[in-house]
Amino acid sequence: MKHQTKLSQEQQQQSRQVGTEQQAQQQSAREFANAEEMLRYDAAHTTVPPGIAQRLQKSTGDLPGPKMAWWKRLLGGTNP
Amino acid sequence: MNEPAAGCEFVEESPADLASAEFSSLYAENSRAIYYLALRFLGDPQKAEDATHDVFLKAFRKRDQFRGESSLRTWLYRIAINHCQNLRQGWHDRHVFSNADDAVWENAAARTDSPLRVLEIKELGQRIQKTLDGLPDEYRLLLLLVADEELSYEQVGALVGQSPDAVRGKLHRARKVFAALFEKNA
Repeated sequence: MKHQTKLSQEQQQQSRQVGTEQQAQQQSAREFANAEEMLRYDAAHTTVPPGIAQRLQKSTGDLPGPKMAWWKRLLGGTNP
Repeated sequence: MNEPAAGCEFVEESPADLASAEFSSLYAENSRAIYYLALRFLGDPQKAEDATHDVFLKAFRKRDQFRGESSLRTWLYRIAINHCQNLRQGWHDRHVFSNADDAVWENAAARTDSPLRVLEIKELGQRIQKTLDGLPDEYRLLLLLVADEELSYEQVGALVGQSPDAVRGKLHRARKVFAALFEKNA
């Protein structure tokens, strides 16, 4: 009886492990209805390089006219 | 003659600051869309970064020319498309390449819009890029624009010089070819 209990616990543990692996696989698997949906997902997971804003800061700052400080808000200027 | 009171000169609400705030918002709201279009259209992160910078710089310089006849997003896309197409045209003159072969196009015509399954999310971007690289420019651009939920078919049509009905028809074919190439690139 004790032996059966132990086997049962091992089986349960194995079952849990398999379940966790399956869950992980399911979490990493995605299904898309069409190309746009896939592209939308891809776009949402694409990070804009912060270097662009820094370069724009310099580029717009070099332009004649009033000093433009739009980048200050973008690069943390809105933080208290 | 009125003179500004001492300490009140254009601190927060000068035209320059208002313009800065507007451009900051413009960049914050649209930079991802423009960068993504450039990234997937050009297929090169560094070139996409350069292109995105150039697009917003052009927008900044020409912001007074924006008449509000289209949305700001559409206006930016128009600048981006022209910029990226010019870049690609320059490359194409030097390197003619295509990942697509005849069999893929033939198979694509018979396929339906089946769900596209991806097991490894981290590889998704590379596989999408490879697939887009194999598409004609027209289909690639169309799919990238339609993927932006903020654009209507009318707006997409205006950007690519097609009627909304033509956009729908070409989109149907573009989806099939994309699906076929995507499966081939597995």
